[in-house]
Amino acid sequence: MKSISLYEEKGTMLNRTAPESKLCYILAAVAVPALTGNRWAGIAFTVCSLVLLLAGRVLRKALPMAAVSGFVLLTVVVIQGMFRAGNATPVFSAGPVVFYREGLSYALHIVCNIMNILLGFCVLVLTTKPSDLIENLVRRGFSPRFGYVFVSVFQIIPQMTETMSTITDAQRSRGMETEGSLFTRIKAFIPLISPVVMSSLVNTRERALALEARGFASRRKKTFLNEETKTAADRYIQIVCLLMTAAALVWRIAAWLT
Amino acid sequence: MSEIRIEKLHFSYGMHSEVLKGLDFTIDERSTAIVGQNGAGKTTFVKLLKGLLRPSSGRILLDGKDIALSTAAGLAARIGMVFQNPNDQIFKNTVLDEVMFGPLQIGMSWEEAHKRSMDALSMTGLQDLEEKNPYDMGLSARKLIAVASVLAMHTDIVIFDEPTIAQDYVGKERIKRIIRELRREGRTVITIIHDMDFVAEVFERVIVFADGKMLLDDSAARVFADRKALEAACLEQPNVTRLCRELGYEGVFLDVEELVEKIRPLMGKNTDESK
Amino acid sequence: MAYVTAEHLKYKYPGSDALALDDLSFSVEKGELIGIIGKNGSGKSSLCQAIAGLIPSFYKGAYGGRLLLGDLEVRSADADELCSKVGIVFQNPFNQVTGAKLTLYEEIAFGLENMGIPRPEMKERVEAAMAFLHISEYRDRYPFDLSGGQMQRMAIAGILAMRPEIMVLDEPVSQLDPQGRREVFAAVRSLSRQGITIFMAEHNMEQIADFSDRVMLLHAGRLVAMDTPSRLFSRDDLEEYGVCPPVFTRLARALGIRKADGTWPVTLAEAKELLSVHGTAFRGCAHE
Repeated sequence: MKSISLYEEKGTMLNRTAPESKLCYILAAVAVPALTGNRWAGIAFTVCSLVLLLAGRVLRKALPMAAVSGFVLLTVVVIQGMFRAGNATPVFSAGPVVFYREGLSYALHIVCNIMNILLGFCVLVLTTKPSDLIENLVRRGFSPRFGYVFVSVFQIIPQMTETMSTITDAQRSRGMETEGSLFTRIKAFIPLISPVVMSSLVNTRERALALEARGFASRRKKTFLNEETKTAADRYIQIVCLLMTAAALVWRIAAWLT
Repeated sequence: MSEIRIEKLHFSYGMHSEVLKGLDFTIDERSTAIVGQNGAGKTTFVKLLKGLLRPSSGRILLDGKDIALSTAAGLAARIGMVFQNPNDQIFKNTVLDEVMFGPLQIGMSWEEAHKRSMDALSMTGLQDLEEKNPYDMGLSARKLIAVASVLAMHTDIVIFDEPTIAQDYVGKERIKRIIRELRREGRTVITIIHDMDFVAEVFERVIVFADGKMLLDDSAARVFADRKALEAACLEQPNVTRLCRELGYEGVFLDVEELVEKIRPLMGKNTDESK
Repeated sequence: MAYVTAEHLKYKYPGSDALALDDLSFSVEKGELIGIIGKNGSGKSSLCQAIAGLIPSFYKGAYGGRLLLGDLEVRSADADELCSKVGIVFQNPFNQVTGAKLTLYEEIAFGLENMGIPRPEMKERVEAAMAFLHISEYRDRYPFDLSGGQMQRMAIAGILAMRPEIMVLDEPVSQLDPQGRREVFAAVRSLSRQGITIFMAEHNMEQIADFSDRVMLLHAGRLVAMDTPSRLFSRDDLEEYGVCPPVFTRLARALGIRKADGTWPVTLAEAKELLSVHGTAFRGCAHE
């Protein structure tokens, strides 16, 4: 299946949970630690996300993503640990390299935050069919046009890359070199641009006509072929997440005022 | 005159689906149509000929030399290919610049490229339009620009991918003339095509692909006589051939002229007798 | 009774000087299958889009005259009225895939969702459309992975499910292989048998002659003639309009074999019938 969506149907509870609940969960996971400034809140949500991913049987797919960002984060730890302004208390040294407590602590804070946000989004992205998310948002009054653009992007881009490779083949057939020095490759780019733009314009116009012919511009209230993805628990999940966010917000404001 | 020898050619995309399952034949001076259902491997085959893909195993020899030794851009001077959709290649602002792009890329001097391009434009009926912007022209004309831009490279071998798609009668007639002209000049013409009436009228040799293998390879008359094999490849006979079959005629006729030539003398006799 | 009526229909694309449709007047009965022929640029696609209402709803520009679909005037009709009255299928099946659905089944329901059809009825209509076009077995397939013929039948099913009374097909098989062509033409035939009024633009004259109740010949945006295939393809001036009659007609002309009414045969069946009369004499002729 040539779609660039990361979603995979596993028939788990998380697949059946309403996408909005997962959005609320992300909101809470990001907002609560940020508003309270409490490191343990972030860690708690990270653990929670890990448990959810495990329960959704998609932990295996989340790990490579965590690993990629882990590599970036490692450089953050090294740089902050060694060079952060205000570094005073050495923790350990490896040869001439000294790591400081203040920098490491700050880096750890960043790592926790990023991992928390990343895994929170993984919970949504890896367990939700993009069209389910959009359909539910459209049900809540979101614009169907915007929804369409969002969903179709996942499928149209892979199709466009196919057009791109045909165009490359057509120009290589006419003697255009695509391999070699940077200059050769930049030069090879020019004969590709206008055919790509041209064919995308043609395809987009044709698709727009086809959509129009199927009532896309209709002003009637839309109906949906698929039943809404939701479970009995969704309402409570959403309430709890929103309450937590609200509580954190109140706490923050109270902290400012006093 | 070039000769292309295909030896035990296999090709797969990735590890699994094998698209070409062992092809062995030689392409000679006859104009050759490759026919078959979508997915039979026709496009993959011509991409291999053009060096745009590399065989999984087997070889393609062009005048005895393995084409794997040259790059796609290097092969461009020997083998030209007209893609199905002219929008996939046109990028210059004038017809002449577009047509001269290929010749200049393969190292012709400006003078020679210009001369070849003007020749190609007159062969495609586009003379006097060389200063026009291709984007202002209709799809049929753009198709002819794409054809001219390949002809101008003056390759020994010219491949067409579905030249008649979206063409009207006038466009098809022009392409018919171009193919015959190339044949007369001794250049090898290979075409992927779905239009059996066109094949019957224009091509000498027909190769039928089915499921990555060669099912038939013979003169157009013999291939179109083999109704069973055509059906197996999800193809059908040309209209004239079908009519003759329905009428119970012996022999295979490919186009109107051929059939008329056979029938007319007999008909004359027939009407004379009735008088 | 006239069902689709055009009265002095004119249209000019924005930024263009020439009329794409130049004073077309015609009327079509309910349930007729009308073939539309003419060389590239003669106005076939513009006429298709005008009948489907995309001209003037999608394409702006100068519009004159009237086009009536039953009692609905295209120019003043809104999107919803048009959709339930008329559907259109285009040349390239690929660009008709919405890209918003993961299965053929969901893809076909797209138009019904937009029209606000209740779910039980929607399911029923999708099932019926899939069965009608013999694509039920591909219901769970990813739309972009289908073959051209399957994809085009999916596009037709997506329109059919909206239950239009009129269907416009703009060169529906030109991008397909012989197998796909047969599949789609068979579908068009059964649509016609259902009593749907059909307009089909097509370059293959043998098919047009075989299918159409009447044929419209367009040239430079004008309607040159509208007649039965027999009479239309018996005209002597077709070459001037860049149209070549079916091979059967050319053969009969070359041999001078006419039908009793003075027209030339246009289909295989007609040619066969006429030639069979002379048949015995040719049976022995062999090809060497």
